[in-house]
Amino acid sequence: MSKFWERHPFWSLIIVLVIAVFIWAIFAPWPSGITDMFGRKKVFLNALFSGVTLGALYFLAASGFTLIFGLMQNVNLAHGSLYLLGGYVGYQISIATADASGNVVNYTFWWLLAFVGAFLACAIFGMFLQYAVFRRMEGDDLKQTLVTIGISIVAADLMLWYWGGDFYTIATPQWLAGPTQLPLATAVKSSGDVVFLKYPSVRLLILVAAIVIGVLMWLALNRTRVGMLVRAGVDDRDMLSASGVRIQRIFILVFAFGAGLAGIAGVVGGTFQSLAPGEDTSILLSSLVVVIVGGMGSIPGAALGALIIGLAEQFGSVYLPTYAPVLTFVIMAGVLAFRPQGLITSGR
Amino acid sequence: MTDIASRLSGAGTNALELRGMSRYFGALAALSDITLTVKPGERRAVLGSNGAGKTTLFNCITGDFLPTTGSIRLFGEDVTTFPAHERIRRGLRRTYQISLLFGGLSVFDNIYLACAGVSRGRFSMLRPRKNDALVAAAEDLIVTVNLAEHRETLVNVLSYGQQRQLEIALALAGAPRFILFDEPAAGLSPTERSDLITILTSLPEHIGYIIIEHDMDVALRVSESVTMMHNGRIFKEGLPQEIEEDPEVQELYLGGGHG
Amino acid sequence: MAVVDHKTFDTNDADKEGVSEPSRTGVYWAVGLILVILPAFTGEFILSDIVSRILVMGMIALSLMFLAGYGGMVSLAQLTIAGVAAYMTAVFGTSAITEISIGLTWWIAVPIAIIIAMIFGTMVGALSVRTEGIYTIMITLAISAAFFFLANQNYDIFNGFSGINQVLPPVFVGVNWGNTIPFYYLCLFLAAVSYALVLYVSRSPFGLALQGIRDNPRRMAALGFNVTAHRIAAYTFASLVAGVGGVLMVWMNTAISPGAVSIAVVIDVLVMAVVGGLGHPVGAFLGAAVFIILETFALDVLETLGLPGERFQLLIGIGFLVIIFWSDDGLLGLWRKWRERSAKRDPLLGDLEGDGK
Repeated sequence: MSKFWERHPFWSLIIVLVIAVFIWAIFAPWPSGITDMFGRKKVFLNALFSGVTLGALYFLAASGFTLIFGLMQNVNLAHGSLYLLGGYVGYQISIATADASGNVVNYTFWWLLAFVGAFLACAIFGMFLQYAVFRRMEGDDLKQTLVTIGISIVAADLMLWYWGGDFYTIATPQWLAGPTQLPLATAVKSSGDVVFLKYPSVRLLILVAAIVIGVLMWLALNRTRVGMLVRAGVDDRDMLSASGVRIQRIFILVFAFGAGLAGIAGVVGGTFQSLAPGEDTSILLSSLVVVIVGGMGSIPGAALGALIIGLAEQFGSVYLPTYAPVLTFVIMAGVLAFRPQGLITSGR
Repeated sequence: MTDIASRLSGAGTNALELRGMSRYFGALAALSDITLTVKPGERRAVLGSNGAGKTTLFNCITGDFLPTTGSIRLFGEDVTTFPAHERIRRGLRRTYQISLLFGGLSVFDNIYLACAGVSRGRFSMLRPRKNDALVAAAEDLIVTVNLAEHRETLVNVLSYGQQRQLEIALALAGAPRFILFDEPAAGLSPTERSDLITILTSLPEHIGYIIIEHDMDVALRVSESVTMMHNGRIFKEGLPQEIEEDPEVQELYLGGGHG
Repeated sequence: MAVVDHKTFDTNDADKEGVSEPSRTGVYWAVGLILVILPAFTGEFILSDIVSRILVMGMIALSLMFLAGYGGMVSLAQLTIAGVAAYMTAVFGTSAITEISIGLTWWIAVPIAIIIAMIFGTMVGALSVRTEGIYTIMITLAISAAFFFLANQNYDIFNGFSGINQVLPPVFVGVNWGNTIPFYYLCLFLAAVSYALVLYVSRSPFGLALQGIRDNPRRMAALGFNVTAHRIAAYTFASLVAGVGGVLMVWMNTAISPGAVSIAVVIDVLVMAVVGGLGHPVGAFLGAAVFIILETFALDVLETLGLPGERFQLLIGIGFLVIIFWSDDGLLGLWRKWRERSAKRDPLLGDLEGDGK
């Protein structure tokens, strides 16, 4: 980090300033001039929180994608299908014991089980893909990518066949359904009472969970033996296979884990958005942009990229409604033009 | 331009000047603090064991990647940050240790591409006509390098020796002034080696080169000066005779260090 | 690292694979003749909904084929570039949306549209060639998606979800080019010109250098070629082909809407090009033909296979996977394999030489 400061004093200053303005805007009460220009502070804070939690969802989806890409150079364009599959599997588990009126006894348990089930289902599917398909065309990047496109076409149609074109939402457990009051003031009433921001608890929980998963992944990659092997593989595949490590096992493991993360992301997406045909493509595209912006093959890059894209989408849709998609694109184009490898590059 | 005239125009400026050049891969220093001067028309051999940094040195000079520190001057011009193709257009050429040829193309098309690369017709979307200057240049070159009888042969059908010959031919396209030869003799039969020596020694006088060669016999016969590299550094410089008789060099390179 | 690295320059020279020059010319004449006299035999539906569509989509797939087959750059932005030309034809020409359309006459509007598409394509190229190989697919896919969302949400230029309708082909030299048969001949002419142009350029110094860059960019740089500039120029050229295809696309449908540039269609164009084969320009039209014929008759095909009639995507997906698994170069690759096998067959005994035990 200190190196970055030395090399790019100007950009560092800009970044620090932007962060400072954000922090000020979050904590300070807004003077009326600002409110006139940007609307109420509550709108701003809501967009901020939605952006960050959307970033959490994108991170879960993109980290699996980038992990697989980083190690195997496999651009898995079926990643969105894994996401949607995970979401549908999670939905089925969450309503597995529902009675006629849709009530589930002990729903929290089933909701949590949905995550486990989606992870396992996608992980097994991912292992199958790596073992049965990609292993046979190793080194042929284009062929692998084309196969993933073929798989995503087939998977999308099979899922459409089974689940139809309806929208599904995974219900939130009762204790998470309400809002949590955050110690952030949105406004001060004329009576002098401070109004605090209320935000859906489930989204906050998922944000915390995504951060925990991210940190655990980072620790696993940097502090464990398997993680070291994976990172060595990212840097130099030949060296790894020459050192006698059974690289296929590591590949299958990483593919399973990355696919499983997509499954978890599917349940998250099903809980705070909805599941429907087409969601597979849109989450794939978000993951692509996140990974391009953050840096291909890097987990911290995926986190940064997800945060930036999540925030850009939410702030864009609040403050620049018709140009929101362009904002995301401008960010991507800017990164490609000035840092083609993405903001955070992996060890390579 | 005649040989003499080009030699005169180059007088006073060196063909190649490296100053304090280093290249790191992560924490690994593949080259450190290389300072090297080659005069116009000079023929230099670079020796050293595997991993001494010889090919990295070539890659830096060609512009495949930029040096981490230091500067590169080509015929007096600072080309440190130039992309590879800009350096090539200034008269630099190189050959590769492992032949990088276009296997699906005929010998003639390979040579034609090499001629096109250093001419203005690169972006032409019109097919060449019969009296095209580029075609004529390629026809001349194919005769010069004794490959005329294989004109239409696909390159991946050529023998290994012929491929090495073509590799050299590609470096001679256009008007080369300075060539980097990366182990041109590797894998050649004794006859092919002596052919190679003939080609190198009969190059026009104004063309200087650096040759990386494991075969001391070839290296010392085609060079006027020798640079020894070891662990990414320049270890010794001198005349072929001096290097051959240097006890340190013998220990390092000719003795146990080799192979 | 070329993406399509197992191919060589001469995949486009069929005469090196055992087809003699006269028979190839014969095939050209035969196919050309059939296409020219086709309107005499077929009805409006086949001509407008199948053959003209094959020609238009084939041109867009051809643009992808040029970049992927000769340049090793699998760009998923080619349909989007065609879409830009289509939208610009509507914006600068005439349409039912008078608040948007400027109303220029077609021979001004169309060149402007194609030039804008070429500028857009060049910019896409400039962004995507900065990274190597397989990233191209990701970046161009993201660009296509961004354009789709923009067209879908922007009402000032793109008229949002409903798009721009009543974009009619011109009446010129007394012919209404929107009528089925004239439009068919227009498509046929432009498709044939594009095809010939791509073939011609592939053997020009520019095309040869592009193929050299596909196979070995580092070596090409060491021969003095500016690899980046060459790749970007390839995008510009491919955008010309895609742009002309885009103008025909908007005239064919007399409208353009975000649905025509959605990710699903982007993938369809890739499927066409890959199924046909990236090794030769004819593959693009072959792939488009197979795709569109299957799409049109999917109901019958699926019911013959005992599947529900609406499972067209499943059929396409499986067919696509089968082609990728069994052939290195789509249907062209299969055909080549088959020719090689039959060439090995002893003309008298009919055995495969390799089988003789």
